[in-house]
Order: sequence, then C-alpha cells, then structure tokens
Amino acid sequence: MIQVTNIHKTYDDGKVQVRALRGIDVQIEEGEFTAIVGPSGSGKTTLLNIIGGLDTPTQGDVMIGETNIAQLSENELIDFRLNHIGFVFQSYNLIPVLTAKENVEFLMLLQKRDETERNERTTKLLQAVGLGDQINKKPNEMSGGQQQRVAVARALASKPDFVLADEPTANLDSTSTANLLDIMLRLNEEENITFVFSTHDQRVIDRAKRVITVEDGKILSDVAK
Amino acid sequence: MIFKIAFKNIWRNKLRSWTVIIAIALGIFGGLAVISTATGLSDMRQDNAIRTYVSHIQVHDSNYLKFNGLTDIIAEENEIVSYIKKHPNTEGVSARLRVESFIQSAGGTSGVILNGINPADEKRVTNISEMLQDDNFLERYKRKPPILISQKLATKLNAKIKTTIQCSFTDANGMPVTGVFKVVDIFSTSNSMYDEVNAFVRLEDLQAISAVYGSHEIALTLKDDEQVEAYRKELIQNFPKQHIASWRGIAPELGYADKMMDLVMTIFLIVIMLALAFGIVNTMLMAVLERKKELGMLISVGMNKRKVFWMIVWESIFLALIAGPLGIIASYLAISFFGRYGIDLSFAAEGLRSVGLESMIYPTLSSNYYIVISVLVVTTAILSCIYPALKALKLNPAETLRTA
Repeated sequence: MIQVTNIHKTYDDGKVQVRALRGIDVQIEEGEFTAIVGPSGSGKTTLLNIIGGLDTPTQGDVMIGETNIAQLSENELIDFRLNHIGFVFQSYNLIPVLTAKENVEFLMLLQKRDETERNERTTKLLQAVGLGDQINKKPNEMSGGQQQRVAVARALASKPDFVLADEPTANLDSTSTANLLDIMLRLNEEENITFVFSTHDQRVIDRAKRVITVEDGKILSDVAK
Repeated sequence: MIFKIAFKNIWRNKLRSWTVIIAIALGIFGGLAVISTATGLSDMRQDNAIRTYVSHIQVHDSNYLKFNGLTDIIAEENEIVSYIKKHPNTEGVSARLRVESFIQSAGGTSGVILNGINPADEKRVTNISEMLQDDNFLERYKRKPPILISQKLATKLNAKIKTTIQCSFTDANGMPVTGVFKVVDIFSTSNSMYDEVNAFVRLEDLQAISAVYGSHEIALTLKDDEQVEAYRKELIQNFPKQHIASWRGIAPELGYADKMMDLVMTIFLIVIMLALAFGIVNTMLMAVLERKKELGMLISVGMNKRKVFWMIVWESIFLALIAGPLGIIASYLAISFFGRYGIDLSFAAEGLRSVGLESMIYPTLSSNYYIVISVLVVTTAILSCIYPALKALKLNPAETLRTA
C-alpha cells in the first residue's frame, strides 16, 4: 500500500521558488490501476517522482508498506527502488547497447538473482508482453511500442510492489498505445500488479480504474470507476 | 554485466573511441620511439667511449692522476697485468705509456698525447685497430718507428700515410727529446675530440725515447660488463696502492648522460601520460554528458552509484586496454626492426661524430619499460576517469529524466 500524507514540494533555485505540490494526501491500494492526470506543470510527475523515491518532499511522509521513504538516505532509496518499485518512462530509456533480454535481465543481475531464475523470468516476462520472439533484438531494432513493452517487462523483472509509469504512451501511436494498455491491464487483473501512471492521454484515462486529477499542486478530484 | 555494458558503451560512438584509441596509441608509440632512440644514442655513446678509449677499468699510479708526471709509472705493473690476464672475466688488458708531446710535420703542428702501446694487447681492449684506412695497426713498418694519427690530426698536420713527423717532449731525465716517426696508418673514431689529441706509437719505441721503462696506465675490458664494479673492488683489494677506477669514474660525463637520459625519459613519460589523461578525461566527460538521461535512468531503477562509478571507470580502462597494447606492440615492432637494421642519420654524421656518436642509431628499450608503460597506462586511465565518474555520481535522476 502507498500512503502519501500532506506532501509539499517546493523547488528553489535561489531566485525563484516554485511550489509544485501543496499538501497532497493520497492512498493507493495493492492491485490498483490508477492514473494521475492533469495539465502540464500541474505536479503529476513530481508526485510520481516522490512516490517513486526519485525526489524528496519538502514536507510530508510517503509510506510504502511499512517504510517511510521520505526518511531514507540516498543509497537506501536506490536499494529500495531496486527491490520495491518498477519504473516505466516516457521515452522508454532502455540501455541501447543491450538486447531486450539483457535489458530485462539487468535489474535481476543487480539483485544478484541466480542465472536460472533470471532466464526463466526474463523469458516469461517477454512472452507476457508479446515479445517472446524478439529477445535478441536491441532497442534500435524495435518499434517504439515494442521498446515500451520491453520497458514494462523490465519494470516487472525485479518483482516490485508496484509499477510507476510516467506518461508511458506519450510517444506511442494509437495501436501501440492500445496494445500496451491491454498488456498492463492484463498483468494488473491476472497477476494483481499495481500500476500508477501519470498521463494526459485520454486513451489511458478512459481505461484507468481510478483517476486522480492534480492541478496547481493539489488534488482536484479522485474518482474510482 | 557492468563489464559488458562498459565495453559495449565505448563502441557507441566508434569514431570518437577509435580517435581516442589511436591518439593514445600514437602517443605511446611516439614516446617510446623517442625514448628508445635516445637510449640507443646514449648506449652507443657509452659503448663507443668504452670500446674506443675508456675501457671498463683503468689502473694508474695515484700520483700520475694528480701530477701527470712522466715518471709516475705503475710500480706493480707486471703483477697487476699478470693477475688481470689470469682472471676468468678478463677480455683484454693493455699497458700504456702516455706522454704529452708537441707534434709537427712539414704542414703543421699540434699538441698530442702519444700513447705507447703493445698493438696485440691493445687490439683486445680498444677498437682503434678496426678504424684504420690501411689495416696497419703499427704492425708493418720499415726503418722509422711507426705512428698512428687520426684523420682529424692528419688534416691539421697536412699529413698522410708515409708522412714523417716529429714528436718533441721532455724525457725522464728532464732533457728535451724528439722522436721521428712515420705515419703508417690513419684512424678515425666516432669521437672527433678524442681523435684530435691522441696518437699511437709502439710502447718500446716510446719507452726508448722517453727513458721511461714502465706504463702509466693499464686498461682492461671485461667479458661481462655487469661485473665491472665487482672486478674493480677485487683489484683494489689486491692492489690497494694503485688508483683503480671504472669507466664511470674515468669518464663521469658518460654516467651523467645516463642520468640525463633517465630524466628525459621521465619527462617524456609524464608528457605521454598527460596526453593519455587528457584524452580519456575528454572522452569520458563527453560520454557522461551525452548519457545523462541514461545514467539517470540506471540510478532510478536501482543501480547504486558505486556501480555507476565503476562502469565509467571500466569504460576508460577498456579504452586504455585497447590503445595501450596497440601502441606498445607498434612500438615493439618498430624498435625491434630499427634496433636490428638501424636508423641511418648519415646526413648528420659530422655533427654526431663531434659528440662521440655514429650515424647509424640502433634504438633499444629495456623490457622493463614496456611493463612500466603498461602499468602507467592503466593507472592513468583509472585516475583520469575519476573526474567524469564523479560527475556521473552527482546526477539527480529525477532531474536528468525530466530535462535531458
């Protein structure tokens, strides 16, 4: 379970202060398929980064299970992210010199999982995202949609508590978007994987089970479908 | 996996990586080529000096070195020569009588040191006999005693083979004497300064004219030149009254040249390593800045900063490990080739001779140098990537993902 309490985030470059988040309270349960939506600059990516431990709040607490990640040191956060959070980024961010299989396997190597487990899980995940026959292709040999599916497989490789996806469909065409959403929803429904994504893509919002709207750093609405 | 990613990363921009690799390899090659040529020159100068006039060890009467007196001959000459001849590490020994003389021919005059030698013994110590025009090392002559003069002195005296010349000096009794000699051959060593002031006559002829029946100098060469110091100490132990010096003591400038060469080599190595360091810093900094987003992603998904740091370090080590052997192998092949066939600098022969060098240079480099260079290349690569690696560690993942 993710529990965000009274989160504030202010960016201060010494000249200008920008209040990106102004007291956010939100709770996300296991197995949710939640979209955080809002216009550009509303604070949705900041909220996602804080939930993912990529950014620290100026004020407030972020509980992931029993851990308040706002209290963790930088190294502890990195370790926490590796073992508890999966990430899918807007521009895929695969390692270009590695194949699809190696990209998925990478996090398990960081977790020091044994080779048999790595191979089995990599194959299973790539098959689950429909890329069982593309395992030896490098990112530049795949389409954007395929790369994002590898990114989803990679995010799940480390057996995270939940997956955070920042605008995962922003660079995809409608077919690839539909494809990716099908896969994510199937994984959510069949394997009870929690997905939280920031988006302003209506196609994603339409299929989300819960939509949290953020504007000016505050939650404007929180609607469960 | 870190190794694998690091290795693959360096081939992302092949042109840049190869440019750096070739630059590093050329730097190593250039540096080693200069060092080996300089070492070859230094060794040649040293070998020439030892083989032509210094020899490995010289024995003198202590007073002779202080006062240069005609009568300061070596008291234990026979015992010393006999001891040296029996020694298993002796290659050759030659006793010399050295007399400062005024030399004149019909065409000119000069000052010269007459070296009274036994040609057969001298041949085993110096290589003057191999530098003659007519292959007559005081062995063939008719009435007048023979003398060998250098080409430089011959030019000065306007003399040639068969020219009669006179040598005037004071004998052991303090009386002025003149010896009349016939030039039987002309030599030319690689040291024009030595040539100008040295001439050779037979020992018995010089002894007869000077009335000095002994030798001022015993020169010897060894079979194993690594044993010079041990041999010298042994001689000192057996003949403590004599002044016994190795070539380093006799011609300290040769030793200074060695030290100077070490200094030059050190400076060259520093220059090479600095070039290497700048190349790697530049390349790795570019690589880090270009991959900010990717590095941010790696940190985001859970790759700790220690691993990111080592990934950058390994990338630069791989660059050095490719460039280093390339440069070292190219240097080894070139040094081996030119070490065998030589570099012909005959266009500058005159200038080289004036400083005791020949016009064929044979580059040489101790195998230790290759090891030292290899270690230095890797060390420099590691040190020079620390700054770019630290830059990578300072990346804020959220910021790089947002802005890069």
